[in-house]
Formats: sequence, structure tokens, C-alpha cells
Amino acid sequence: MSLPILVVDDSAMARKMLIKSLPPEWDVNISQAANGIEAMVAYREGKAAVMFLDLNMPEMDGYQVLEALRQEDMNSMVIVVSADIQPIAQERVMSMGAIAFVKKPISFDMLNSVLKQYGVI
Amino acid sequence: MSEGTTNLSLAETVLKRVDVGIFVLNKNFEVQLWNNFMAHHSGHLAEEMLGKNLFDIFPELPKPWFTKKVNTVFMLNNFSFVSWENRPYLFRFAHNRPITGGADHMYQNCMLMPVNNENGKPESVCVVMFDVTDTAIATNLLKEAMEKIADISNRDGLTGIYNRRYLESRLESEFDRTRRYGGTFSMVLFDLDFFKKVNDTYGHLAGDKVLVEVAQRISNQLRASDIVGRYGGEEFALILPETPIEGAQVFGDRLREMIELEPVIYDNTTIPITVSMGATEYSADLASYDKLILQSDVALYASKAGGRNRLTCYSPELESIAASGAKH
Amino acid sequence: MTLAALTNDQRDALQELTNIAMGQAGSSLATLLDAFVDLSVPRIRVVEVVELPATLAELVGKNNLVSAVRQSFQGYLRGEAIIIFGEPGTHALADLMGYEAELAESGQAELLLDVANVLSGACLGGMMEQIRSFTDTHGPAELSFSMPSIMARDVPAQAIIDPQKVQWTHSLLLEVNFTIKDRNFVAHLTMLMPEDGIEKIRGIVDEFIAAF
Repeated sequence: MSLPILVVDDSAMARKMLIKSLPPEWDVNISQAANGIEAMVAYREGKAAVMFLDLNMPEMDGYQVLEALRQEDMNSMVIVVSADIQPIAQERVMSMGAIAFVKKPISFDMLNSVLKQYGVI
Repeated sequence: MSEGTTNLSLAETVLKRVDVGIFVLNKNFEVQLWNNFMAHHSGHLAEEMLGKNLFDIFPELPKPWFTKKVNTVFMLNNFSFVSWENRPYLFRFAHNRPITGGADHMYQNCMLMPVNNENGKPESVCVVMFDVTDTAIATNLLKEAMEKIADISNRDGLTGIYNRRYLESRLESEFDRTRRYGGTFSMVLFDLDFFKKVNDTYGHLAGDKVLVEVAQRISNQLRASDIVGRYGGEEFALILPETPIEGAQVFGDRLREMIELEPVIYDNTTIPITVSMGATEYSADLASYDKLILQSDVALYASKAGGRNRLTCYSPELESIAASGAKH
Repeated sequence: MTLAALTNDQRDALQELTNIAMGQAGSSLATLLDAFVDLSVPRIRVVEVVELPATLAELVGKNNLVSAVRQSFQGYLRGEAIIIFGEPGTHALADLMGYEAELAESGQAELLLDVANVLSGACLGGMMEQIRSFTDTHGPAELSFSMPSIMARDVPAQAIIDPQKVQWTHSLLLEVNFTIKDRNFVAHLTMLMPEDGIEKIRGIVDEFIAAF
């Protein structure tokens, strides 16, 4: 069975770039969300074994999603994908339960090595 | 290969001779490049400078500031600028207008650029320095002229103190500032008593002399932040920042006494002068600054009604006196 | 000259380019000030120049007194970056940079200029870096910057730009906020580009979209 993954970003372009950067051989079922609220709906529907999460979004941002997930047992591996490259942002999301931080612009190699490192692929 | 060599020496020649200061520093502030402009103006040739720490040769440089500036360029790998308007010069060089300049040093604009190695990391910082003395002199002259014009248009022609338009604009900005940041201030409105009689008895020139004299005496007593202006014919106003009504009362009374005790002498004639004053203080519940003018006017009216040559502080009860007075 | 608005796809792609670029600007600012910087979601609009004052007031907040620094850039793109600082900006900055509370007027100005220069340099530099990664159709994506200058001190936001003095009819407005929460510091980075720049950006963005 394909692995359900969720790509959360307010930019359709950013979601497209991320999806293009995923390893082609990876057997996944991709869902998308444009903000935190949509992300939580998809998560509750079981569509997010792995979640690629942007931080900077309108409505409900990435930090708020991490907080909500923590209250709902964090049944997802969250990889934060963000343009905010401040070390403190990275520390903050890791302390909130994200397993990895990938900076934008996303590169295939970087994403691949993170996925390998956590045994997702 | 010969073409490359030619190009290199071409670039070197230009770099050397261009009428712009160019020098390069590494992370230890050791000079890596020093062009002719720098050599000629500083009196230190490239041969003396190369490999030396910049601050060792120029101990008068603003070291902490310049170090921070250069380090930021290394750290952020970004350009940086220094404008003569904030810092007239980095190096104190003589300028090229010794006769007509009116400045005693060269004004400089500087640009700091990171110079990257093949890994894209900044290895040194190149400083490009422009002589902007001409621009600075022209700008400063223009600024002075503009300030002079602005000042003239803010002043009363006869007395030289501020005019009514400027007084009102300052009152408004003081009002807004106090409303925003808190604190208080007071204003005093005052009138020369029986001024019409002065004009009728001693002539208009004497009247003018009295106005000028009073304006001058008051100006001499002010703190730097106080403002005095001529509000109308024989009416004056004071704005006293950071001053509660008690302070305004003491200060106003002192001015009043000073004017009373020393008559104005005009053409060997002694002209006794007294003033009536009305004072009021800022209060947060006032809708706008012109309420302060109305209040001090009410207080001034009370001083006149009470026999003149006195100062009255505004209180709401005074409104009824002013109202009954207005009916007459 | 009439100018077509950006399509949704173009706006979205440009927003992402800007978002990544401002991430670098935010990081540079954080390094400079040694504080955590909150970044806003970029806002992008094509506006008529006559509407600029009202638009800026809306972005920055009406009735707020602000100070503004301008810096022009040329080369691959031509335009002006205008960096707008909220009212307590200078004091907060002096504080963050470890200066004494009372900073002389010229020192305050220098501080504003330095921060403005870091923001525009990092943001536009980040944008050029991304553009280089997917296209060279329009020549090398490199910019040079002119010296920044103070354009306004403590004026209402709508008074920063006088549309009468702008040569263009339309502007592409990119706006992002940098906030340091507990220090009361807000800076808005806006980039204004004239009509020909807007068309060039449109072409670049279309290539960006096609590349993925």
C-alpha cells in the first residue's frame, strides 16, 4: 500500500516544487493542504504518515500545526520545509516534535538524504 | 596568453590611476591593495601599506565602528555603505578645493564590498571611496539657505520673535507629542495693557519700540525649549514644554514683574508698561490644541477684568466672567 | 499604458520566490541584531502609482508615524527598495545593537541605513540566486545597489511617497514584514519596480513555473 504523505504550503508553486523533488521510486499517495487548518483536516483523515510542513502561512501557521499535532499524539513524521533559515526557528520546530528541517529552496539531494536518514525510504 | 596579460595590466593600470580611493582588507585588517588615490592623499605608498594592519598605520581611524562595519560585510556577505551625511569622512584627507572650499577636509562616501573566494565565501573586503566634497559643500550651503528661509518665514517682521502661524504649528505639535508620549506643557497668552494709549500718546514708533523691547526681554529669559511669539497686534504667547501650570505661573509672574519694574525708554521719554497674562496647562481631555488658546484667552480676559497687570490661571469657573464680559 | 494583472499562478510563484528571498534577509537581520525575527507572508500587488500612498498606508497601518529609507538597484532588474520602519524602530534598533539610549541624530540615521541595506541586499541577492538556478534567458542575474538614503523621518505612512514625483504609472509592489516581537521592532521591506520591470518579472516567473 502507498504511504500517505501530506504537503502543506500556502504556495501552490512551493507544493509543486516539493513534490517534484521527491524520489520518483517512492511509493506514495500525495495529498496537499494550503494552510494549517486544511492540514489538520487531512491529518485526521489519515492522509499524513509523513507531513512536509511550511512554517510561514496565513490562517494557521506551521508552529500552530505542530502544537495541534502534539495535542493529538503526533501520529505523523513532520519534516519542516521553510525559507526561515534562522537557527532558532530550526531549534524551535525540532523541540516541538518535527523530525527534520529542510530549508528552501528545496534541493532533491537534501530532501533525499533526510528521508534516508529517517528510514522513510 | 598575451591578450590576457594585456587585459590584466589594463585593469591594474585603471585601478591604480582612477580618481577614486580603492583598498582591500583581509579579515585581520591587513591591507591587500592600496591604489594611487589612497597613496597620494594619505602620504603612505602601497609598498608601505601592503601586509600592514590598517589601524597600526592610521591609529586615528574610528576603530570600533569601522571594525564592526567590515565584520558585518564578512558575516553577511553583503555590500555596505557609508554616507558623508552621517560620517563626513573615514580618512581625514585634505580636499582639492583649498581656496574656495569652505571645508577643512575631504567629504567621503564609501562602499564596502565582499570579495569572495571560489567557494563563494568572503575572503576580503574592498573599500571604494569617493571624494564628494563638492556635493557636500553644495548640499550644506543649500541646507543653510533653506533653514534661513524657513526661519525667516516663521518670524514676525518687527520683533524678530516667532509669528502666529509658527506658534500655532508648534502648539499643535507639542499637543500631539504630549498626547502620544505623556507629560505636560503650559501656554501663556499676554497683552500689553493700554497699548492703544501708548501709541496715541507717544506715537507709533514708540509703540513699535515697546513691542520690540518686550519681545527681547522675554526672549532673554527663556529656556532653550521655550517658545515665544507675537500672536497679534500687542498680544504675545509663550509655549512652555514640560512645565505644569504652577511653573508657568511662577515664570509668567516673573516676566510680568520684570516688564513692570523697568519702563521702556524711547527718545528720552520713559514709557511705563504692564502686561496682563492668562495661563493654562495641557490636559488629556482637550479635543484639540486650539482649546488651549481659548482657555488662555479666557484667563487673560479675567486678568484684564480684575484690574490688569496680573496673571490668571485658567479654571472652568472663569468661563462665566468671560461670557458676561463678552456681552458688553 | 495598461498593464495586465498577474495571473494567480504568477502571483503564487512570485510570492514563493519572495518568500525564500526574505527568509535570507530575515536570517541576515537576525545575525546582525542577534535576535529572533518573525517573518510575514509576502504580499504582492500591481498598483497604479496614484494609489501608492493609500496602499502603503494600508500595508503599514494608517496614522502610524514611520521612517523610511530608499535604495535603488539596477542591472538585471531596475527599481527601488523602500524600507519602512515603525515608529519605535530607531530606539529599538539602538537598543538591539547595544548603543547607548541617546543616540545622536546622525547615528540613528546610520543605523536605519545599515539595517535597510542589509534587508534589501539579502532579499534581492536571494532572489537573484534563485533566478540563476533556473534561467539565464535574460542575461546574468546580478544587481548593483546605490547608496541608501533616508527619505522620511517620522511621517504618516501615506506621506512617504509623492506620486507626482514618480515617473512610472504602475508599480509592482512586494511587501514583507520583519518583526522582533518583544522589542517592538517592525520593518517593512517593499520593492517597487516600473512597468518594464513588471513585464520582465512576468517572463521570469513564467520560466520558473515551467521549470517545475
